Amino acid sequence: MSMRSQIYQWNSQVGTPIASVVGAVNQAGQSVSIFIGGFGNNITKPAETTATQFVVIEDVAVSPSYFVYTGCGTIAAPVTVRGLIIGAEGATPTGVAGNRAYIQVRINTTDYFLDPDNVGNDGIPGAASPYPRSINFQPCFNLYPDVYVLPGQVFDALVTFYATGATGTTVLNSALMAFMKYTLYDGPDALIANKLLEMGISINPGNVDWYKRTLIQSQSAGPMPTA
Amino acid sequence: MSMRSQVYEWSNLAAGGLGLTSVATLRRSVDAQPQVVPANREFDIFIGGIGNNITKPAETTATQFIVIEDIACSAWLGGALQVRINTTDYFQNPDVTDQAGVPGLASPYPRGSSNTLVATSLALTADTNNLLKSFDLYPDIYVLPGQVFQILYSLTTTNADFPAANNTAVVSAFVKYTLYDGPDALIANKLLELGVTINPNNVDWYKRTLIEQQQRSRVAAVATNGGSA
Repeated sequence: MSMRSQIYQWNSQVGTPIASVVGAVNQAGQSVSIFIGGFGNNITKPAETTATQFVVIEDVAVSPSYFVYTGCGTIAAPVTVRGLIIGAEGATPTGVAGNRAYIQVRINTTDYFLDPDNVGNDGIPGAASPYPRSINFQPCFNLYPDVYVLPGQVFDALVTFYATGATGTTVLNSALMAFMKYTLYDGPDALIANKLLEMGISINPGNVDWYKRTLIQSQSAGPMPTA
Repeated sequence: MSMRSQVYEWSNLAAGGLGLTSVATLRRSVDAQPQVVPANREFDIFIGGIGNNITKPAETTATQFIVIEDIACSAWLGGALQVRINTTDYFQNPDVTDQAGVPGLASPYPRGSSNTLVATSLALTADTNNLLKSFDLYPDIYVLPGQVFQILYSLTTTNADFPAANNTAVVSAFVKYTLYDGPDALIANKLLELGVTINPNNVDWYKRTLIEQQQRSRVAAVATNGGSA
């Protein structure tokens, strides 16, 4: 099992829940690591590859948002649009249903997604890459080319949200969640992944298998005749 | 990381601004409110002065190449997106006159959103339509090194007092592009000269071709030298 499809799901309301209620300890507007950010489900140490591992991140997604309108006075009772909360009772609507969340990928200290002025941005909007997907919330972004995490690198996914209706435990009450799909290449397959990278070939299971077949074929062809 | 998938999301949300005075901010904020977007005017989603903006016009440096792969915007209020490279609009009418560009109805953002909003008293609701895209930006749009590009958003009806009096609707736009930087930008230029479509696969293919050529010439040199390198 040296090539393994892996996923990581983050739920902000598991463990230490993220708070977004105005007046409380508020993480809105701040980026939070989905691995070691201290909120939601976390892992024991920063996500990193060892010297014999190679990770290819193939998809990232975060809770969706929906854009509506303001000017309705304060919210009399919790209101949802397509299952997403507009805001807390008594709050003034911001015109956004859901968390208005974004997800950024960071390799070592470098942010992957930039604005056209080469300044790092918040990352992929949940409206473009929603998690979970539904008829109401469909993706218009796919992570291609993939993001490569080379041996020895640290990687992270940072979620930033701006709407204050972010707390919730289910999709129907605007749970802030994130999702990452990646493939882990380990041992010999990580070496092959490095070789493919040198050769300028996309790293995916199909190409790793192709490289293995090429090696086997060249071995079984026997030694080249000498002049 | 010299080929990178990038996105830019614009919305008319910004902190501040009262009445018909619209403002822009460089960073998104928690207290943002929808700004009024006048009708029948084009606004650059990068530096147009409404909603979230960036620090300078979007442009490529001498070592960058951009391929715009998708554009989308809110489907309500007759929203549309036009792409402008330097001073040339990409989408034109058949009589070569100007047009607003790709309507949000054809390329809605978010996907699955509606083209209408329904106002009810002290509540916010949205229509239950689920729009899908009927437009695919293919072939892609190339932004060559040194070019300035703009994504222009326009409405046929202002978002003030929509869907009802005293409401302000949120409108948004989305761009997906691939940024080729450094050696990969040079290869992208080479592919353009060759008339080959620029995408990550073809850039990788060109790299492999270069490597194979080098290997062949190395073998030929060894053979010429009588077997010694």
